[in-house]
Amino acid sequence: MSIIEKIKTIYPSITDADFIPSPTATIYLENALDGKGDYIAKWEHPTLPKPTQEQLDGVK
Amino acid sequence: MSSIVISGDTSGAVTLTVPATAGTNTVTIPASTGTVMVSSNMPAFSAYMTNGSLNQGITSGVATKIKIDTKEFDTSTAYDATTNYRFTPQVAGYYQVNGQFKAAGISITFANIYIYRNGSVFKEGTASGYTETAQSNMSVNCLMYLNGSTDYIELWGVVNAGSGVGFNYGQSCTYFGASLVRTS
Repeated sequence: MSIIEKIKTIYPSITDADFIPSPTATIYLENALDGKGDYIAKWEHPTLPKPTQEQLDGVK
Repeated sequence: MSSIVISGDTSGAVTLTVPATAGTNTVTIPASTGTVMVSSNMPAFSAYMTNGSLNQGITSGVATKIKIDTKEFDTSTAYDATTNYRFTPQVAGYYQVNGQFKAAGISITFANIYIYRNGSVFKEGTASGYTETAQSNMSVNCLMYLNGSTDYIELWGVVNAGSGVGFNYGQSCTYFGASLVRTS
């Protein structure tokens, strides 16, 4: 399951439109090829808090 | 006399050599202060993605560093093509930077390319929201300052697509390069 699918599972109100990949977007995801995989580089959603790593890991 | 040797105050020397070629040539040194640039202190590199002859798979919608892993040239050994895929020149100045990737994916809805400086987006490329059903090239070019010690640049990209998402490998389609234009 991708990180986008995990976030959408945690917050069903979030849609694909929230993930338009741009540095000026409210949610910006990255992968630096450092072995850590995909991660949330920026979270500036107006109402929802950034999911914790525990929350992301808990989504199966 | 074919050479003039100028010794340093405490050590070292610079040798000015005139080639043994007929004719008269003139070198004019400007009435200004600066560093004379010669080929060995003008970093330049060009590299492209081989990736074991496989496309670099990525997650749709996630900006990902592009694995530019094969050098064409690297005049000052400043490009890391094995671990971090980044250019860290040791001469401060203004660099022309160019990059491109070919997007892979079925039903691509968005793609973009970025030059990252020191881990953050510095310049975006040409793409914006659009719909493509075939592979597309994204490119980015800029002139930027690098401090010659800690500053580094990387090529990143993002593709939104239904499946098979990634960057195509190949010398002609996914590449990265930079060259010193002038020192600071």
